Amino acid sequence: MPQRPAYLAAYAGLWALLLASATIAVTFGPAEISPTEVWGTILHHLGMAGDSPLSHLRDAIVWQLRLPRVLAALGIGAGLALAGTVMQVLTRNPLADPYLLGLSSGAALGAVIFLLTGAALLMPVGAFLGSLAALGLALLIARLLGGATPSRAILAGICIAALASAATSLLIFWSATGDSYREILSWLLGSLSGTTWGDAVLVMLALALCTPIILLSGRGLDAFAFGDDAAASLGIDITRLRWTLLAATALLTGVMVAIGGAIGFVGLVVPHAVRLAVGSRHRVLLPMSMLVGAIFMLWTDTAARTLFDPRELPVGIVTALIGAPAFLLILLRYRRVT
Amino acid sequence: MRLVVLTTALLALSGPAFAATTYPLTLQNCGAEVTFDKAPARVVTIKSTATELLLSLGLGDRIVGVGFQDGPLPEALAAAGASLKVLADKLPSQEVVLETDPDFIYGGWESNFAADGAGERPTLEQLGVKTYVAPAACRTVKPPKLSFDAIFAEIGEMGSIFDADAAATALVDSQKASLAALAPDPRGLTAVWYSSGTKAPYVGAGSNAPAMIMTALGLKNVFGDVDDGWVAASWEAVVDANPDVIVLVDAAWNPAAQKIKLLSENPITSQLDAVVNQRYLIIPFPASEAGVRNVPATLDLAKQLAALNIPAK
Amino acid sequence: MSGLVVGNATVKAGDRTILNRVSLTAPKGGVTGLIGPNGAGKSTLIAAMLGLRRLSSGTIAFNGTNLPGMVPGERAKLCAYVEQSATTAERLTVRDVVALGRVPFQTAWQTMPSGHDALLVQAALEAIGLSAFATRLYHTLSGGEQQRVQIARALTQEPQLLLLDEPTSHLDIQAQLLVLDLLRRRAEAGCTIVLAMHDLNLAARFCDHLVVMQAGAVVAQGSPDAILQPDLLRQVYGVAATIVRLPGSAHPIVVYDRAETDAAAAKLD
Repeated sequence: MPQRPAYLAAYAGLWALLLASATIAVTFGPAEISPTEVWGTILHHLGMAGDSPLSHLRDAIVWQLRLPRVLAALGIGAGLALAGTVMQVLTRNPLADPYLLGLSSGAALGAVIFLLTGAALLMPVGAFLGSLAALGLALLIARLLGGATPSRAILAGICIAALASAATSLLIFWSATGDSYREILSWLLGSLSGTTWGDAVLVMLALALCTPIILLSGRGLDAFAFGDDAAASLGIDITRLRWTLLAATALLTGVMVAIGGAIGFVGLVVPHAVRLAVGSRHRVLLPMSMLVGAIFMLWTDTAARTLFDPRELPVGIVTALIGAPAFLLILLRYRRVT
Repeated sequence: MRLVVLTTALLALSGPAFAATTYPLTLQNCGAEVTFDKAPARVVTIKSTATELLLSLGLGDRIVGVGFQDGPLPEALAAAGASLKVLADKLPSQEVVLETDPDFIYGGWESNFAADGAGERPTLEQLGVKTYVAPAACRTVKPPKLSFDAIFAEIGEMGSIFDADAAATALVDSQKASLAALAPDPRGLTAVWYSSGTKAPYVGAGSNAPAMIMTALGLKNVFGDVDDGWVAASWEAVVDANPDVIVLVDAAWNPAAQKIKLLSENPITSQLDAVVNQRYLIIPFPASEAGVRNVPATLDLAKQLAALNIPAK
Repeated sequence: MSGLVVGNATVKAGDRTILNRVSLTAPKGGVTGLIGPNGAGKSTLIAAMLGLRRLSSGTIAFNGTNLPGMVPGERAKLCAYVEQSATTAERLTVRDVVALGRVPFQTAWQTMPSGHDALLVQAALEAIGLSAFATRLYHTLSGGEQQRVQIARALTQEPQLLLLDEPTSHLDIQAQLLVLDLLRRRAEAGCTIVLAMHDLNLAARFCDHLVVMQAGAVVAQGSPDAILQPDLLRQVYGVAATIVRLPGSAHPIVVYDRAETDAAAAKLD
């Protein structure tokens, strides 16, 4: 494994790639706006340049539509990749993803309920409440199973996920009209259409809160490589570590799902890809997964909103189209190495 | 009722006799060949467009059940359709449909004939129940771009099936006349047909009723180049086009008022000229799909459009 | 009192008593061997010392400090543990695994090992003879090599108390002698070492003090000469053996004769 200078170079490279991607992606879109005009208007809003070079509507396209969406994509990609990495090591299951605690199924149910009762604009609130409810129920069931340990919480989460999925399907079948089918499907696949500044800020707040907690647990996650006893003998309070990480991951995932829907594959594939490159040292794996996840999400969402102009695809379709073959390649690579 | 009176009067006043249908009548419908031995006597209609078409031909007494209606009947047909038996608010199941002992099922959407709906067409054919899918809604065989002529052809085909050629011809002629009297708006305005969607707008595209109606109105459809009936577009594309007029589909589950509220509260769309100046045209949902209501709806929209005061470009 | 002192330690799991009033002393700077048949409770005793199994009653103290009661972070700086077998699904190199021993000394925001850490890791790798393996992935190693990596990891913790559970079980003969020699030298430098052993001859050669356990209780403890007697071996292990002393040798050698299945041995199981 490479030493310090190589790691620093990798970080620098990824950050540069992220900033470059953001700069470029915000200039893409169905509306014909040149890159200089795009950046002119952004700088104007930031108070750094003179007047906006665009008409008020095209200015709104850049500042109200594209920029928050780019920021949200970066944040959600980073958050889901981080959550996925943590879930994989906590459950010692390479197929784990951020939605394991029933979070995305609960969020889906909440979102569908809000949509079908006419509060379509409040779908993110419904999604977040749904994910909290699913988590709460999972913990309750874990207690009933004889004491809430993290592994029982995860098992209970799987049950809740199945239950919530069934309830969601029933609701959809029972009361959805043609219009809401489309919105629900788009949400279930994961979509960043219509992301507002409010959404982007929420994503960043969730990241700001949960990322430090998770990153500071990197040491404990490393010690955890050989199991509970080994970690305890290295001085790590396993139970506290598990609960802290579960809580942080649940909160982070809940917000990401509420804003972007159940975007798949990012939380599953990005950790594996990064692990292949840098190994399982979590103090390095976690931050790098975030950076790679952010860049991946940004480009897939940019593709989703520009490739089939004027159509917009739900971004979950693109992440699946890329993620599934990527996962296959990673599995093949694992096989060759072991 | 008025239409029945009108057609009878026309019959009385007209000279030559109308063609009676010779049975067996075989026709191609949405990839299937259907043969009628006689005019159907017990009909189930699914979706408002199917119900309304048959009511307009004065065939309401033959309808034994309706399903998946999209809204109340228009005033002209309300009396005729008042006592129709509603089988289900949504898609009725096969058993419920067959319980009415129908000999003909007329579906407004092709998906109405699924195994978990009215039943699959070959299965129904074997049971002796004839089926018909509104051509504009056919998915297995892609229909050509929708035109009023295609709608008139569907009306004519129904007339043949039910040996009601006179009523069909009368209806078609009357609609043709209204349409001919309509002059497209000369102002060269652009429009977006906003059907549904909050985060991403679902808009009328180039090949179905929205495009047909907008062309007749003389409006340039922003998404008219897309070869589909409707398309999931992006707000960015809508805002970039800054349409002069927005057509809003008014459905019971998604009223026009709700759409107006959404448009005016969204920070981006609230700046659109059409939103700021409230330049909306409103069309009820059942009239927004291919059927007998398209022509009256187009006339109504034309009136709304003429009333809008839009400065010249 | 220095060294490890266990006083009447009892561990229960439900109705079963796994450790029954175990008392022993492991002198500071000495190598103490825990011997006994499978299921005697050796692993449980070691785990209890680390606070991994709760004591129902009794005490475990090291240099006067209550060991299971310590804050885990502080205890990890004092005492290192090598499990019987350690596997992982994670993609870690040998160097990464050995570096884990420095975790108790690192802060949460430290993402890379310090220079001091790196030196200790390198020294441990060389001491255990695995410096050529440093960049190999851990899970590609054989069982014996993995065991040596774990020992190297324990060494980087610079422990005053080193607890090892069957550290030589997968090693070939040369490696066994190398590792035990290394541990002896550590003991001479002041580290207290407690290891659970299977091989009585190795225990006799490398341990200063032996503790014999059977069915959760201590049957005898003392020097190898005192403990390794044919009667005890028959009673505890169910084998007939002869104890031999080579001229000039400091420790006894056990020569096994046959398995004993007579009534006297069976009764005491």
